[in-house]
Amino acid sequence: MIKKFIHQFASPKTYLFQVNKFYNYIFYISISIYVLSITWGLLFVPEDFVQGNSFRIIYLHVPASFLSQSLYAAMAIASVTYLIWRVKLAAYLIIAIAPIGAMVTFIALSSGSIWGIPTWGTWWQWDARITSTLILFIMYLGLISLHGSFSNYEKADKLLSWLVIVGFVNIPIIKKSVDWWSTLHQSASITLTNKPSIDPSMLYPLIGSTIGFFGLIICLVIISSKVQIIKRESTKSWIKDYV
Amino acid sequence: MKLLKLEFLKLKKKSRSWLGPILVFWLIMIAYPLTVELLPEKLEVGFFSVLWIATLISMMLAAEDIFLEDFNDGSLEQTMIKTTSFASLISIKVFIYWLLIGIPISLLSFIFSFGTTTNFVLSLMIFPLSIISSYIFLNLFVLGNALSLNKGSVLGALVTIPLALPVLIVLGKSIVAIQFNINYSGFIFLLLGCLSIIIVAVPLVVSYIIKAHLE
Repeated sequence: MIKKFIHQFASPKTYLFQVNKFYNYIFYISISIYVLSITWGLLFVPEDFVQGNSFRIIYLHVPASFLSQSLYAAMAIASVTYLIWRVKLAAYLIIAIAPIGAMVTFIALSSGSIWGIPTWGTWWQWDARITSTLILFIMYLGLISLHGSFSNYEKADKLLSWLVIVGFVNIPIIKKSVDWWSTLHQSASITLTNKPSIDPSMLYPLIGSTIGFFGLIICLVIISSKVQIIKRESTKSWIKDYV
Repeated sequence: MKLLKLEFLKLKKKSRSWLGPILVFWLIMIAYPLTVELLPEKLEVGFFSVLWIATLISMMLAAEDIFLEDFNDGSLEQTMIKTTSFASLISIKVFIYWLLIGIPISLLSFIFSFGTTTNFVLSLMIFPLSIISSYIFLNLFVLGNALSLNKGSVLGALVTIPLALPVLIVLGKSIVAIQFNINYSGFIFLLLGCLSIIIVAVPLVVSYIIKAHLE
């Protein structure tokens, strides 16, 4: 039942035609939300009592950090889907997400570094959260280089899927690093179980910027996955019609 | 038992494979004091970091050709077809490599730390820590080498070193805990927990990866 559902709705052809219908909506809604939230956060939210204006980098840093882990989790789900149900689209998605994940992790690391100068007095600290995020960045690069080193795409997809699953162990380490180790990096301000420790005036634009950023990254994933599909299915007749 | 003996004899014959990593470890540990002033307190500052990195590098070298020869001569494919549990064969292989390379390196770690630090408990605890960490590293590099079977060990190391870094963090923390005598057994149990998962999971994953290579 599940297998039939997945195979029917996750064929590259169906995906390619379906995402085209939604792409413009996702893009315009996301960019509007992001621009509005960023403007709100940068211009209208009051200064932080301790950090002054430097805290405003959260509207880039927090969404990027959240997405860097979420994208890896998405890759892990796609890997399991590919290895169990042999869904080709899942394999295309893994390699489509990897460079975007690396880029987002780089944004998270660099924005964190910039934020570190006024708040911690240093642009880099070998603390658990930052180091584990750096490991995630290297993991993304490793995944890209592993996939690129095989000319046989099917073999590369399988090996990549296994590595993504094994590497997923880093995600809970990143998430819990601030709780497990005494680190310079603050613990999470927003959790599912507790009331946010951040003031609502700062929180709402943060939620908005995270949603907007998430949507924009989805748009990037769509573009990247379309490139992968066109590249990998280039011999199919329907792709010639599509292109 | 027969497989264990066979793998042992195979590795014993390839002296470069088991002696090489041990000698590299030894040389790194000898090279370290040459790079710092020979004041005991200065020597101890970076000693344990060098020790773990030397263990990591040696294990990387140890796993370098664990499957390559068998893959090239086709015996890996034959074994995969013949053996019902390919994963258990891999775990035997890893165990033998650890026995011939990991254990001597752990002993050397103990001897070197005994000669460097005045803290006897610390140098004593280095042995179990080294035994556990060398087994973890070896398993991780075996995974890396399985992924990059015929593509060179650099690629394998590149994709697996990030996974070994959290272990290095825990090792560093455990040294501090031992030095200040704060509940260091927790770190040893954490490493043992990681090892018990890795011992089961890695051979299983490696067997699937090798199957993917041979398909």
